[in-house]
Amino acid sequence: MQQHKIPEQLPVMEKLKILSDAAKYDVACTSSGTSRGNNGKGIGNCFDAGICHSFAADGRCISLLKILFTNECIFNCRYCLNRSSNDVPRATFTPDEICELVIGFYRRNYIEGLFLSSGILKSPDYTMELLYQTLLKLRTQYQFGGYIHVKAIPGADPLLIEKTGFLADRMSVNLELPTAEGLKKLAPAKTREKILKPMRQVQNRMEENRQELVLYRNAPRFVPAGQSTQMIIGATPENDFQIMSVAESLYQKFDLKRVFYSAFVRVNEDSALPALPGGPPLLREHRLYQADWLLRFYGFEAGELLSEDRPNFNMVFDPKCDWALRHLEHFPVEINRASYQTLLRVPGIGVKSAQRIVKARRHGSLDFPDLKKMGVVLKRALYFITCRGRTMYPIRIDEDYITRNLLYVKEKLPPELRGDVSYRQLSLFDDGMPLSAEEQQLLIT
Amino acid sequence: MMTVFLCEDSLDGILTGVYEAWDSRLGHRNVKLKTDTEDTMELFCEYRTVSTELEKAEKVLQTVRCRMGVKAEEAVCYAAACPDERKADAIYRLIVLGLSMRDGRKAVNCLQDPSVLLVEQLRYKAWHEAERMLGFLRFEELPGAILYARMEPPYAVLSLIAPHFADRLRQENWIIHDVGRGQIAVHRKDSPWFLADARMLDLRQMERRSDAEAEFQSLWRAFCKSIAIEERRNPRCQQNLLPLRFRPCMTEFQQ
Repeated sequence: MQQHKIPEQLPVMEKLKILSDAAKYDVACTSSGTSRGNNGKGIGNCFDAGICHSFAADGRCISLLKILFTNECIFNCRYCLNRSSNDVPRATFTPDEICELVIGFYRRNYIEGLFLSSGILKSPDYTMELLYQTLLKLRTQYQFGGYIHVKAIPGADPLLIEKTGFLADRMSVNLELPTAEGLKKLAPAKTREKILKPMRQVQNRMEENRQELVLYRNAPRFVPAGQSTQMIIGATPENDFQIMSVAESLYQKFDLKRVFYSAFVRVNEDSALPALPGGPPLLREHRLYQADWLLRFYGFEAGELLSEDRPNFNMVFDPKCDWALRHLEHFPVEINRASYQTLLRVPGIGVKSAQRIVKARRHGSLDFPDLKKMGVVLKRALYFITCRGRTMYPIRIDEDYITRNLLYVKEKLPPELRGDVSYRQLSLFDDGMPLSAEEQQLLIT
Repeated sequence: MMTVFLCEDSLDGILTGVYEAWDSRLGHRNVKLKTDTEDTMELFCEYRTVSTELEKAEKVLQTVRCRMGVKAEEAVCYAAACPDERKADAIYRLIVLGLSMRDGRKAVNCLQDPSVLLVEQLRYKAWHEAERMLGFLRFEELPGAILYARMEPPYAVLSLIAPHFADRLRQENWIIHDVGRGQIAVHRKDSPWFLADARMLDLRQMERRSDAEAEFQSLWRAFCKSIAIEERRNPRCQQNLLPLRFRPCMTEFQQ
């Protein structure tokens, strides 16, 4: 296929437009996980929680200067805008141009650092070498102390990856698709083994580095903010259970800091890709992120949330609410006595409010108004908790009853779901299900 | 009879108020602290105006730090930055509670107490605002490589965010200007930052821009535009996370 001929020297403005546009499908834009002061010679530090510097029109945070080194690529992955068979304008930065951009933006407080990814130019080794040279220049010549997130290129020399890791804060290798079959279908040049190899290498090196740091406090730090990865959701027919199981094993076996999910956006006309008349599967992506949080911070396991029989998330309820409704035998829990782990499993109580409850109840017992002030979402939680042995209103611990009531407080759902939220048709002569006082009132008047 | 101590609306002002109210020996139940931003007066109260004294404020803060821990100190500092008329009294009650406990560090956890809860809520609000400002502040380069940033936050966050920039941009000369309060934070290369009155600023000098500035601004605007995915467009979400009130001072939303 005939490729666009590029004049050798594009202006930086053109390159930035092309290469940031090409990088935008990478999800990770976090700058968290490293806390580092200024080194006294240069510019920059790192803030542990990360800082969002702006928000783009799609509502995603802009924290890092997210660019590709080049969008020229020898691979032809079906889902990718930069695949070799696509006729798109191509550009390549020079290391100096990237450094100038980063420093210029950083001084003006536009960004928290650099996110550097790349298409595969010539070979994985060649590309990785270019990324390494860029980072080296930025860290040594420009004395940049801010955050750097860099991609490890699968198939590159392990030594190069290791050297790059000592300059970066976070490294990531994209898993691209949740299963090996999907990968085979859409990205024939990549294999699961090739992707997992650098991931394992980074994990092992981080572990070694942790021990070095115990011995020598000032030893150089290897990928201090950990590694992350991302999967495309909805391009291949995997179900949510498969995706969550993959994510869970990545957290457990590869010690990943984050797994990102990216709703598939159809950028190429290709028969192997699904048509998405309703746009990218954003709600599904949202549910996966919610479940991801449950895995990382709430002590849930993928097998609890989903199973072979129920392989997909409920689109109407968030995963935690859905779990609670199916496990009413654990409820109600007594706020003044339940363990922290139990509190975390109550819908409407998050990490913050659970911590607050545990702290505050040492100094006296808590009641519903106290909970409200502490940030507990009572309209959700009231069906699952008691304070001093009492529920907030007279309620029944019954799945249909709670489901129906929770639907009144439905979160903002897309229009196609907002219509049919009646789980069970309400009728006067229902099978012995008494109506609430409110409903009786409604029927009478 | 209630005695109201009117203090200046600043951290030092409130802490001096705490000192004076305690020192008056009228009994904690008979005193109240207010900031002088309020103009409605109450009946059956005696009003005393407190003039801010740094020494007394420092003493109180020192006591809070030693007896109630750094968490309480931070809570007091952040809560004092909020535009809320109840803050002075809530801070006073928190300190009274903390010093009456055997382990004062536990005072900040007593969220059942309305004053403690209020201080905690205010601390969170101000902290959140300060954290947002760390990201949303925009510097512009003046001739001579001086960085100048304007902001107009409803919270008095200038002294809370300046240390962050003093570390981050240690090798730079910069000025952050809180336009609403007429305060500036000034940092000279490799020296500590300080607060000053904005009147010492020559505003006409601040209108000038260096040669590279326009180029970087347009690069940044182009980047912000091209990084958004059109298929996921969601201005509502953007506005929740980046409210309109921040935008006048942000480069990417100026044309």
